[in-house]
Amino acid sequence: MQSQAADKEVVVTGQAVGKTFSDGSVIALQDANFNIKRGSFVSLVGPSGCGKSTLLRLISGLITATSGEIAVHGTKVSGPRPDISMMFQKATLLEWRTALENVLLPTEIAGTPTRADKNRALDLLKLVGLEDFAFSFPAQLSGGMQQRVALARLLQTGADILLLDEPFGALDEFTREHLNMELMRIVEEVGATTIFVTHNIAEAIFLADQVVVMTSRPGRMAKIVDVDLERPRSLSLQTSVAFNKLVEEVRETLGEM
Amino acid sequence: MSAQKLPTSFWIFDFIFKVLPHLILFSLIIGLWEMAVSYGMITSIIIPRPSRIGSAIVKLYITEGTIYRHFFITLTESVVGFLIGASVAISLAVCSSLSENFKRYVIPYAVVLNVTPGIALTPVIIAWFGYGMGSKIALAAIISFFPIFVNTLTGLVQVDEDREELFQSLGATNYQVFSKFRVPAALPLMFAGLKIGLTTALIGAVVAEFAQATDGVGVLMSRFSFQLNMAASLATLLSMTLIGLLLFYTMEFLDDRIVFWRRENRRAAASRARARVWKKQLDNT
Amino acid sequence: MSIPDSTLNPEAVRHAERSMRSQRIKLHAGIFITLILLWEFGSRIGWLDPLFYPRPSNIMRSFWLIYVQNGNVWYHLYATMSLVFMGWIGGSILGVGLGALVGFNSLLRRFLKPYVIVLEATPRIAVAPLLIAALGFGAGSKIAIIMLVCFFAPFINTLSGVINVDEDRLELFRSMRASKMQVLRKLVFPDAIPIIMAGERLALTAALSGALVAEFIQRDEGIGSLILVYTRNLNMASAFSCIFTLTILGFLIFKGMEKIDHYVAFWKYENGRERVSAKRRAAMSQVGGIR
Repeated sequence: MQSQAADKEVVVTGQAVGKTFSDGSVIALQDANFNIKRGSFVSLVGPSGCGKSTLLRLISGLITATSGEIAVHGTKVSGPRPDISMMFQKATLLEWRTALENVLLPTEIAGTPTRADKNRALDLLKLVGLEDFAFSFPAQLSGGMQQRVALARLLQTGADILLLDEPFGALDEFTREHLNMELMRIVEEVGATTIFVTHNIAEAIFLADQVVVMTSRPGRMAKIVDVDLERPRSLSLQTSVAFNKLVEEVRETLGEM
Repeated sequence: MSAQKLPTSFWIFDFIFKVLPHLILFSLIIGLWEMAVSYGMITSIIIPRPSRIGSAIVKLYITEGTIYRHFFITLTESVVGFLIGASVAISLAVCSSLSENFKRYVIPYAVVLNVTPGIALTPVIIAWFGYGMGSKIALAAIISFFPIFVNTLTGLVQVDEDREELFQSLGATNYQVFSKFRVPAALPLMFAGLKIGLTTALIGAVVAEFAQATDGVGVLMSRFSFQLNMAASLATLLSMTLIGLLLFYTMEFLDDRIVFWRRENRRAAASRARARVWKKQLDNT
Repeated sequence: MSIPDSTLNPEAVRHAERSMRSQRIKLHAGIFITLILLWEFGSRIGWLDPLFYPRPSNIMRSFWLIYVQNGNVWYHLYATMSLVFMGWIGGSILGVGLGALVGFNSLLRRFLKPYVIVLEATPRIAVAPLLIAALGFGAGSKIAIIMLVCFFAPFINTLSGVINVDEDRLELFRSMRASKMQVLRKLVFPDAIPIIMAGERLALTAALSGALVAEFIQRDEGIGSLILVYTRNLNMASAFSCIFTLTILGFLIFKGMEKIDHYVAFWKYENGRERVSAKRRAAMSQVGGIR
């Protein structure tokens, strides 16, 4: 993988990573190889069954690879770890906790939250624009707001590797666009390395420095497309020629397989 | 949200408007009933006059006040029996949810207990625990056990893949998953079971009183019935209703407070309460 | 992510599961039999008070007595269960009928609400002595008690089922310009079936309890009277036999109701869906429709 800033270190690596289910009869992912540099934003895009969610879960440590090896910060991934944080398609907030308490959940699980932790949670809610809803319950929040709480929760631990699995897929287009912008802003501010799974080609290109195009049957990494567009990205970019060239490139790759 | 409070007179009017039709209907029914019995359309032996019931109520509750002791005894029997049944049921449910083996060994016996009509045990319970409050409490406990057990267990083992995955991704220990996720998630079902259990505990206490007792509203009702004093019997039935209502609304209140996140108005109140507590722990709000 | 992650061959897994289950059953049975033997032993030595722990061998003997030798339990079972079923059916018809009536009439619902709340809070079984005193001893008052006891669950459930029809579905029917009768027959009634069935199960259980209470008071005939008489005579072994009889009966009722539910509310069950689906396909192909 070529990266923009060639001097940045590689934080996530994968060598010949594969995953099969049902004793080898289902090949979810085959021979994935990658090196991701610190601070880069990588999108995984492809149709359902291409293994993008599987790959994300392998990196997070939720499932283990049947072949190959994944390493984060030089150490092999064998289970969930504090330097990796994950966000899911469903906000999955606990309905009996306020937004603030939901954001604090990872810290609670890791140990006892300090005053500093609690203030950090509140600051994160401010960051996602939910300062006034810190003490509201999930049932009082809209879908988009719930996902924003989940986003704050993602950042609470201060992990520098962020994994997001189609986090805005269930939201309407306007909310999704808004949250995409927010995500980029936050990730830039925090300096995190982000891996983002989506089935939306435009979204994948818009957000990322690299787009990994994945195809299915069997799931594998077909091509890596570099996105050289300048940051910060603006929505108007999506109508530019350069952008649409990239969209075509990705579509072609998907169409070929 | 409008900042203006509606005047108290509005609320008074609102209340009257809601309650008045019911009062009118009730008075109508009582009135017709009274007339029907007076003019001999209904035999007064089986269905007493409302006025006779009224005087029985006055006698039992006000003039002689005999009912209070019995009321209290039956209430105690039900509540204590319920508490015992609930403690055992919840403990077993918790252990069953934590250990697959434990669950397998407990379940067959729980099923047998469920299928057997608990009421059938009444004579045996009385033979074992004697004529005092003990047998009533025991029957109440036994009958209230199963609904609480099965509801709590169902609540604790329900599968929620998304939450489970979330906790797994955070590296939570089994205890953390249990205390921070399974227990709160199980509360709604558990309370549903507790409500049923409380009702059945009252039934257990009353039935045990029928079979053998000297004190309690069940006994009183039974005695009045066989003296053919229907009016007093119905007046006593009223006290059973009161016990039932008391138990029900107590449980509703607890449910409302503890499982607060299910109801809109409770959410807002709880939200404010949390804000107050948390703001002390934060630096800049 | 519910994809199973297994490295075992599926045939072997199934075989292992089957043998694990039979092992478990053997273990359960083993523990149970051991408990029974300990009980018997403890009773013979004199550790266990026969009042509280009637000897298993005595219980088995009394089973033989009441079922085969004297055969007295059959009559009493019949006496109790015939009343239970009569009362159950009567109470159900009343309950479902009134529930539907009240459900369709919002004015009636509003006015009846306080009375329903009061009725719900009162333990209905408590009215037994009153009914017996008023209607006299005998089957009549027993049936009245049973009907009263098992009226409530079907009533509440039918009411709930009728009221809680999904708004979206009502809108669908309205968009097809369905008549009121059609909506009732094709939407409301089928939709309410599962919840009505649930109410009926509760009613049957309550009916049995109601019969027992009536028998405890009247002490003339029926399983409840039997239990009472045996206990009074401190014949705990026979009392327990009767109680276990009720356990078996309760189990049969449970299974029976489950079967009926599988048949009536078939769409809630996987195999029910498949069964009816196949049946309908077969019916269709006979008429020359789909193949």
